[in-house]
Amino acid sequence: MKKAMIINPKDNTATAFDDIEAGDTVSLVSKSGQTGGEITVRQTVPFGHKLALAGIGQGDKVLKYGEVIGLATRPINQGDYVHTHNVESALLPPQRR
Amino acid sequence: MEFLGYERPDGSVGVRNHVAVISSGRCANEMAATIADAVSGAVPILHTYPCVRLNEDNERALRTLAGIGSNPNVAAAIVVGVGCENPPPDQIAEEISRTRKPVELLTIQESSSFSDLIDRGLAAARRMASEASQMPRKPCALSHLTLGVKCGASSAVSGIAGNSVTGRVFDRLIAEGGSAIFSETTEVIGATHLLAKRAVNKEVARRLEEMVARMESRIKATGDDIRGSQPTRGNIAGGLTTIEEKSLGAFAKTGTAPLQGVLESGERPQGKGLFFMDGSAMTGELVGGETAAGVQIHIYNLGGGLTSSFRCLPGWAGGLPILPEIVVVTSPSRPRDSQEKECFDIYADTIIEGKETVDQIADRLFQEIIAVASGKLSKQEMRSGYRELLVMYTTGPIL
Repeated sequence: MKKAMIINPKDNTATAFDDIEAGDTVSLVSKSGQTGGEITVRQTVPFGHKLALAGIGQGDKVLKYGEVIGLATRPINQGDYVHTHNVESALLPPQRR
Repeated sequence: MEFLGYERPDGSVGVRNHVAVISSGRCANEMAATIADAVSGAVPILHTYPCVRLNEDNERALRTLAGIGSNPNVAAAIVVGVGCENPPPDQIAEEISRTRKPVELLTIQESSSFSDLIDRGLAAARRMASEASQMPRKPCALSHLTLGVKCGASSAVSGIAGNSVTGRVFDRLIAEGGSAIFSETTEVIGATHLLAKRAVNKEVARRLEEMVARMESRIKATGDDIRGSQPTRGNIAGGLTTIEEKSLGAFAKTGTAPLQGVLESGERPQGKGLFFMDGSAMTGELVGGETAAGVQIHIYNLGGGLTSSFRCLPGWAGGLPILPEIVVVTSPSRPRDSQEKECFDIYADTIIEGKETVDQIADRLFQEIIAVASGKLSKQEMRSGYRELLVMYTTGPIL
């Protein structure tokens, strides 16, 4: 089965370790090798890119490494592809958001 | 845990036992190379630094060359100069002599001829190499080790694989009382708050913020803005969404220890633990600064892509022969059965292949560090012949 890694237990994203197709069921693994269950991915997620582990509301924090990597610019569903189309840096000045 | 190292008069411990023949100015490179190449056990420290620079750069160059000579991997040093250059060769030699290791100073100014200087240099190098060869390795605590790190050719999984592995190893060495230094000030721009959170006190956090702001203002002075260019198009194609994500992946190589201090390039840390050093992303410059600060073993996290087919890393090919380098390679975009993985010390793609965990590879890397510290040659050290010149970290113009 294809895999994705949850880097920190706090994260709401996982990183794809394979090229994932829409509809694929993916096995989730932690850094220590433990399995974190399975998730059905709703969209294509290329190797090294991120998928959502849970729903993320518009303006909510997107977490990887246990830290905020940005804010959702639109609602994100569980299993969605997470990238520049739905996330922006939290460091941008408000007028640029 | 212990490793087998060389005890130095100042209490530091070397993992190598070289006689360093240090050129004080680029005009002296030929003399330093002629002496070092003729004596087994001697290595030349050659560089491209010209005299015609501003004081801040001259001071940093002095600190770097004196620091390299003072590095515990150096048993004895010979400083070779013209006599008129910046940094002044006598000051380099004087700084190194504070460590109480044997130091010789040779300048053209004080020699009757080129041959006279070479003859005296050869005699000194042979004597020092003979003395060094008689020093035994002794069991030493891991607290004497300082690691340095650089990541290059980073991919979307560098933060998870190679950098995470190094982070675990840093944490483990620091728990043993040792030290680790990381650098690359530009990586911190836009994400200073994430690193400042780990500072041991407000003063360290303030110094970090000042150092990063100084780098950013230098960039802005050129009329460019780094924030607008991060993450790069290549980063985004690789899966990095924001500058925070990119910096956090880079910071993964620093582990989770508190940030004990902030250093200028080539500055020796006070105390033990994790330190940040000012520096550029150019490997040669960064490694020069870290070596001058006392790093004895360097970890290079090589990411995916074409660079993993270079057995000598571009821009950093044994440029500083006193510093053993251990290369951790993560190269998911290359054929996984590539023969190239045999040319690097630690192969970390097994994380992505599901064959090993981060902890298991970190354990392999930690054992490799102890082995290399005790004398095992790293893959990089086993190559010979090709040599890069050291490039000094500078922030001002050439005059």
